[in-house]
Amino acid sequence: MDFNPVLLEVFKNRLSSIAEEMGVVLYRTAFSPNIKERRDFSCALFQGDGELIAQAAHIPVHLGSMPMSVKAILQNIKLHEGDMAFLNDPFQGGTHLPDITIVAPVFTGNGAADFFVACRAHHSDVGGMAAGSMPLATSIFQEGLIIPPVKIVRKGEIIEDVMNIVLRNVRTPEERKGDFASQIMANNVGIKRLAEVTKKYGLETVKFYSQKLIDYAEEMTRVTIRRIPDGVYEYIDYLDDDGQGTEDIPLEVKITIFDDEMEIDFQKSSQEVAGGVNAVYAITVSAVLYVISALGEERIPKNSGCLRPLRIVTQSGSVLHAEFPAAVAAGNVETSQRIVDVLLGALSRALPEIIPAASQGTMNNVTIGGWDGFRNIHFTYYETIGGGTGASKEEDGANALHSHMTNTMNTPAEALEFDYPLRVESYHVRRGSGGTGNRRGGDGIVRELRLLTDAHVNVLSERRKYPPYGLSGGEPGSPGKNIIIRDGQEMIKPGKFSASLLKGDILRIETPGGGGFGKKQ
Amino acid sequence: MLEIGVDTGGTFTDFIYRKESGWGVLKVLSTSGDPGQAVLKGIDLIAPGKDFRIVHGSTVATNALLERKGAKTALITNKGFEDILEIGRQNRLKLYSLTYKNEPPVIRGDYCFGIPGRITAQGEEDEPLNLEACEAVIQRMLELEVDSVAVSLLFSFLNPKHEIIMGQMLSNAGFSYSLSHEIIAEFREYERTSTIAINSYVKPLMEKYINSLSKATGENNFSIMQSNGGQISSSTAGKEPVRTILSGPAGGVVGAQMLGRICGIERIITLDMGGTSTDVCLIDRSLPVNYEGEISGYPLKVPMIHIHTVGAGGGSIASLDTGGALKVGPESAGANPGPICYGNGKEITVTDANMNLGRLRPEHFLGGNMKIFPQRIKPFLEEMARYAGLGADQLAEGICTVTNSAMERAVRVISVERGYDTRDFTLFSFGGAGGMHAVFLARLLQIPKVLIPRDPGTLSAFGMLMANVLRDYSLTVKLKVSDPGVHKRLLEELMNLKQKGLEDLVEEGYPEERIIFESFLDMRYRGQSYEITVPFKEKYEEEFRKKHLDLYGYENRDRDVEIITLRLRARVFRGEIDIPEEEVKTNKLSPGAFLGQADVVFSSKKWSTNLFDRSRLRYGNSIEGPAIILEYSSTTVVPPQALLKVDSIGNLIIHSGG
Repeated sequence: MDFNPVLLEVFKNRLSSIAEEMGVVLYRTAFSPNIKERRDFSCALFQGDGELIAQAAHIPVHLGSMPMSVKAILQNIKLHEGDMAFLNDPFQGGTHLPDITIVAPVFTGNGAADFFVACRAHHSDVGGMAAGSMPLATSIFQEGLIIPPVKIVRKGEIIEDVMNIVLRNVRTPEERKGDFASQIMANNVGIKRLAEVTKKYGLETVKFYSQKLIDYAEEMTRVTIRRIPDGVYEYIDYLDDDGQGTEDIPLEVKITIFDDEMEIDFQKSSQEVAGGVNAVYAITVSAVLYVISALGEERIPKNSGCLRPLRIVTQSGSVLHAEFPAAVAAGNVETSQRIVDVLLGALSRALPEIIPAASQGTMNNVTIGGWDGFRNIHFTYYETIGGGTGASKEEDGANALHSHMTNTMNTPAEALEFDYPLRVESYHVRRGSGGTGNRRGGDGIVRELRLLTDAHVNVLSERRKYPPYGLSGGEPGSPGKNIIIRDGQEMIKPGKFSASLLKGDILRIETPGGGGFGKKQ
Repeated sequence: MLEIGVDTGGTFTDFIYRKESGWGVLKVLSTSGDPGQAVLKGIDLIAPGKDFRIVHGSTVATNALLERKGAKTALITNKGFEDILEIGRQNRLKLYSLTYKNEPPVIRGDYCFGIPGRITAQGEEDEPLNLEACEAVIQRMLELEVDSVAVSLLFSFLNPKHEIIMGQMLSNAGFSYSLSHEIIAEFREYERTSTIAINSYVKPLMEKYINSLSKATGENNFSIMQSNGGQISSSTAGKEPVRTILSGPAGGVVGAQMLGRICGIERIITLDMGGTSTDVCLIDRSLPVNYEGEISGYPLKVPMIHIHTVGAGGGSIASLDTGGALKVGPESAGANPGPICYGNGKEITVTDANMNLGRLRPEHFLGGNMKIFPQRIKPFLEEMARYAGLGADQLAEGICTVTNSAMERAVRVISVERGYDTRDFTLFSFGGAGGMHAVFLARLLQIPKVLIPRDPGTLSAFGMLMANVLRDYSLTVKLKVSDPGVHKRLLEELMNLKQKGLEDLVEEGYPEERIIFESFLDMRYRGQSYEITVPFKEKYEEEFRKKHLDLYGYENRDRDVEIITLRLRARVFRGEIDIPEEEVKTNKLSPGAFLGQADVVFSSKKWSTNLFDRSRLRYGNSIEGPAIILEYSSTTVVPPQALLKVDSIGNLIIHSGG
């Protein structure tokens, strides 16, 4: 088949819009706040061999890990037409347990699957020792139900036996059921649209151009890397702690650029730790892909081609390549941010004009669970809070924004107060928290939630000790603070804590400011 | 009384009015500094000394916002929420930008004030409004010489007490102000506050514009077009200018709906292809309404016609990216330097591609009044073609194909992705560049018929003239369908809204018996975050479940359904439309209709193609493709296998075939 640049663009449009449409179906019908309000999900299309063709721009932390889900399923299960499989096992294609991925094959009459579609969504509870399934754990068994790659839909029907096991192990089964239905529908839309495209253009043409799209992404990524001067660039930064007593956990990277290839070596990073800041390999890959995407042109499709010029070296059993049965809940949300910080720190030495100082470097995960006596139901509320972003040579950082590996929206105070026994006392910019410099880092946020009932609170946050770094002489941003206010008395809490609070208590989170850039004149 | 539709555009202000036999059209050069001058000039020419009434598409509020020329505005909100506009939803619109920033809010941080006092989610007063704090803020605003104040307090839609007190104090102090519950009594505080902030920001300018026009034309004889496709009295538009901000493209869509109705075509996809972007909209008998939208990054929570925009138009630039794909737009050559064939451009645009293929005719461009340099295109095109490994004509057709594919994607978003089958619709094209692409686009989407109206340039003014009077009211109620007494509660609230609508419209001079009410409910499964709007009829729950199934492919029998927002639309119908029809149907071409032949490329082949003068085509004329139809401001391409027919009111109907 002759290559035609016109058709390449046509297929790029068409295939990425399928992934986007799957996403719309998912968030408009889902029940978990994480999916519907915070858009913590991803939808993607794959070749029959599991190579990623197109992924919608939803949330960067899933970038590298979606193909691993499909490959894990390909290795374990034979899917027939009308079947779907699901998983959340971080050691078999997953990221952390709340992220559940459902994969479906697309048949066009060949007997073998010609494509796959998949969607992953962050469910608000998958069991385990704490509501919200993001606990301060020391083993994955405490974090929730582990789902290895198994079939969940057979010939278009949900396999009730399997579903019942899942539902019995989670705190909010009705919500789970609704979310699964949304994910299955999103996959169905993807299957339908892919079938339409193949019918219109012919299977061979679609396969040819999906391969070309992967080659195209590879070529564009090589162009991106070629713009970085050849050399070896190193950087080290630290995680505050793992919530279980291990502090100052080093993440260290050595980046080697040679022409259009890039080696990213994390081998000097810390060994696995007891607490849940361990990241599985997929998370590390996602963080690298995020940085490459941010350096490249916006129109580069996110697919398997982006990975080809990269060599990512990790040591298994390390904090950036955790092994079963390590606790990993915070690897996805916290460690992923720090991986980006060290990558950008290293690259700032190669590209000082472009790379900004550190952004807040945490997602400030807050989970509140308990009995809602007003509505007579068990509730689990989860949110993340934005902060300051880093300044760059030309610009100040932005205030009060989610940065890098997440881009989730807040829950409106009116939506929150309608549905939960909580009241938002305050939600404002934390003035003066950005690092000073020739360009100022952005300011963080102050958020105060008052409990209208006794409840259990769980906070996973970082950058309470090690502040977001400044660059070229700019000051670091202020580290964050977690505070509980009871009867007017403030109690400072650590970056990761779990506590039973009383009705009337206020949880006050002050998020970090971004680093400054350049010496202040 | 003479009725005149007036559409203020960037270059021309268009007028359309009823004459004894049919319609009159007038174009006056726009006066961008003071758009009212052009309006008054046109009225003077059309109706000197006569009684008249105008419906006006005004860009005053839109431009004030886009150019950041609004009033010095302050925000009053709850204590602790002073930064609500700055924080927004704390997300970024671009995922992979390392230096991303949101647009700065229209109200500066030091003009945002928080006042102690809270209403709960149950509408109860939890903490009274702190009047001393209110006084202090008013003093501060007097010192700052604030021109306009936005008030948006949490849960004011459930209990507006605090906003009302605040309003009285502001009124006593002599401020111009807007209260959030009066304009949108709906939940989600950031979107509501953003809307009220923008309303207050553009209000003084809009009021000034309306007052000066009223002075010249007399009061109560003009209306303003809203984003929802209806008109409102100028006095309401002065108070709630935010309702007019996205009215620009609404006129054309309403025009298409009205014209379609005359032709018996009620399911329409509109295509308005301009220089830098293309608007598409799907009309399924009634106009599609969105209750939330955005303008340059700011959310707006007012009803608006659901129009989808894609960054591809006639001036869009084509290039090969570093990975070898052919991309078109979103960069545009604009008016300066413009396409290569206009004389100065150096980058190939969609217009150049069409010119190269022979689909645009230089000798007839803008009636032959504009000098075109088609020979400039070839060297640029050939160079890019070499890189692409294609022939020059192949590349030019490729540019059109990529453009069509971008428009196809836009149409899919509003049609297929919402459960509509495009084969049931007619493609209605009225922008300057649309006629060259419409049939190709129709084929991509299997749309059987394309309609290109007569005088496509004045369709927007026509739409304004024909638009109904519309006023929208809403109230977030948040009830479960299973709650006892839900229906009664809804009916009570509906009565209150109706009473308000009645008072408003009667005050504007419309007789009660001509006012029609339509009511809707925004519903969702309990626990979802996105609502579906269904008519408020007896079986609204069934209706919701069915619509959810149609849209998303499943329903959930076990799950409770919630009613989030109650909506009321008050409508006053305008008179019937009377467009003169040609009586004699003829298959014979008029003398002068046939302009000769030219070579035009279709599917990599040169076809000897007939050219026609649109103004001389008559009812019943039938033309087989390939053909090109020329008129002053637009060109219609009829490719091989398509068949064009002229209907009795001068529309071109093309059966897309192929």
